[in-house]
Amino acid sequence: MTLAPIAKKDFQDAVRSRGMLALVALFSLLVAAFAVVVRPTGQGTEQFATELLLQFFVGRFLVTPLVPLVGIVVGYNAISGERESGSLKLLLSLPHSRADVVFGKVIGRGAALSLAVFTGFLLPGLVLFALEQTGALAAFNVGSFLGYTVFAAVLGVVFVAISVGFSAAASTQRRALIGSVGIYVLFVLLWSAVTGQFLNAASGVIDPLPVSQQQVSVFLQAANPTSGVELLSSAFLGGQLLAGETLNQQISAVSMLVFWTIAPPLVGLWTFDAADL
Amino acid sequence: MTAIELRGVTKEFADVTAVRGLDLTVESGEVYGFLGPNGAGKSTTIDMVLDLVRPTEGTVRVLGQDATADGVAIRQRTGVLPDGFAVYDRLTGRQHVAFAVRSKDAADDPDALLDRVGLLDDADRTAGGYSKGMRQRLALAMALAGDPDLLILDEPSSGLDPAGAKEMREIVRAEADRGATVFFSSHLLEQVEAVCDRVGILRDGELVAEDSVEGLREAVGGEETLEIAVGDDAEAVDEGTAAVRALDGVSRVDRDGDALVVSCADDAKTRVIAALEDAGVAVADFHTREASLEDLFLAYTEGETPAPSADDASEDGDADADTAGDEDGEDNDAISDDADTEEVSR
Repeated sequence: MTLAPIAKKDFQDAVRSRGMLALVALFSLLVAAFAVVVRPTGQGTEQFATELLLQFFVGRFLVTPLVPLVGIVVGYNAISGERESGSLKLLLSLPHSRADVVFGKVIGRGAALSLAVFTGFLLPGLVLFALEQTGALAAFNVGSFLGYTVFAAVLGVVFVAISVGFSAAASTQRRALIGSVGIYVLFVLLWSAVTGQFLNAASGVIDPLPVSQQQVSVFLQAANPTSGVELLSSAFLGGQLLAGETLNQQISAVSMLVFWTIAPPLVGLWTFDAADL
Repeated sequence: MTAIELRGVTKEFADVTAVRGLDLTVESGEVYGFLGPNGAGKSTTIDMVLDLVRPTEGTVRVLGQDATADGVAIRQRTGVLPDGFAVYDRLTGRQHVAFAVRSKDAADDPDALLDRVGLLDDADRTAGGYSKGMRQRLALAMALAGDPDLLILDEPSSGLDPAGAKEMREIVRAEADRGATVFFSSHLLEQVEAVCDRVGILRDGELVAEDSVEGLREAVGGEETLEIAVGDDAEAVDEGTAAVRALDGVSRVDRDGDALVVSCADDAKTRVIAALEDAGVAVADFHTREASLEDLFLAYTEGETPAPSADDASEDGDADADTAGDEDGEDNDAISDDADTEEVSR
């Protein structure tokens, strides 16, 4: 097992990626700007200012669309890029199995992305803290804020894993990018439209089954990592993480996140392992 | 104990058969030169040894283990300088070597390895800014990590200046002295001639010759070529030419301006000079030329069959050597296009 050296090497490599740094800087500035501009000041919301900001503004408009994009930028060229440039020859002349390469890269690049997300939330955190000190914001809940960054990082790691999977399966960087962007478009932009169509079209099939339209719809929501993370993070911000009415949905969402982190790299490895390089 | 053993190995790609029916044995502890023009299948063969490419037919065993099933265990004991590789542009030289050391679970000091290949002063620079020669040295340092039992060097001197190529040879010798098996591919014959115990020549995916450098030379014919500077006494030279042609052991005589080019057996040299002097030719100067490996290489890789005598090969050697180098588009300057020349002045 040589996962650790590959993970470390890829972490060192990925944290120096200009594309990732640029996206994270953009992300950080946007979150900070949101914090300043839309800080909730209405009556009765003071107690939950941090939670409202994160869930309804930062989460919906910044984390959901941007963090998966950073994940794809970090992941899509992990293996296909090395294959195209020739550094994969250097890598595989060392005693690494191809499985170590794929999973080492998921770990190393996932860690790089997590660090980037935490860094990206640092500036907005300072801004919110300053706003609270000056009295412009009623309350800044540090615990909620830090906890939320964990969910954002999880979302990014899932997309790193998906795009590393494409990267392992594809023979060129371009194909890996097309596959990863396709998944992004499906999960981030089109999911509700596509699943809505599916539910309408499949109603004839679903009706005789012992499940309701509603249950299938809930499952489809949990199956998408972006809505899964939204579900879990809003449960967390509402103090209902792995508890309350949505417990079953939350468990489904957690299972699906684990699935999306492991299955795409495995499928990619299956192709990569048989390939002539 | 064999270090590398290929039995009946064929590799077919979608559009081309790169290697066909190849049998190759590299004994433990030897320095084996793997020669052939570009496109002969050298890299595909090495890729199969490293399990980057799987054979269509046949078996590949390395250090006694199956190349595909035991690839990781094999590479644990193998150091590789690949051909056409790239470095990690954003990582420093030291990070590269440290990565190789960690990957092999070795105890080497990265700086010591970098020092050995002459890269210590640039250890903190990112490899993206390295020249081709420096990248080559970097990959060599990575290959040397963990004192490998087998070193596989694919075109090791590409991108190196003559001094770098010499250092590369010295490292190859030092590794061989340590007991490592060295398998290296090249189209640079000077490299092979200087360090290899045995040479195999690959052509169109098949091994067309395998022997020691001396053995190959014998096989192509033990003849030497004499270049004799003669005077401008045309009559005496004509007479002398006829006399030399009549000698035993002389296979060919050509006029080349003021010089006679004589292909003859090794022991006929003095008789050739004597016959010329008897005919009244003033022999000003002469050189003998042994068939160089360059000539041998051309005989094996370009001729229809290996030439039975060295005549054509040695005469055309210089001109063709440049062509052979150009096939690769680089490293021409590193090719020795001088035949072994020994000068005898009188």
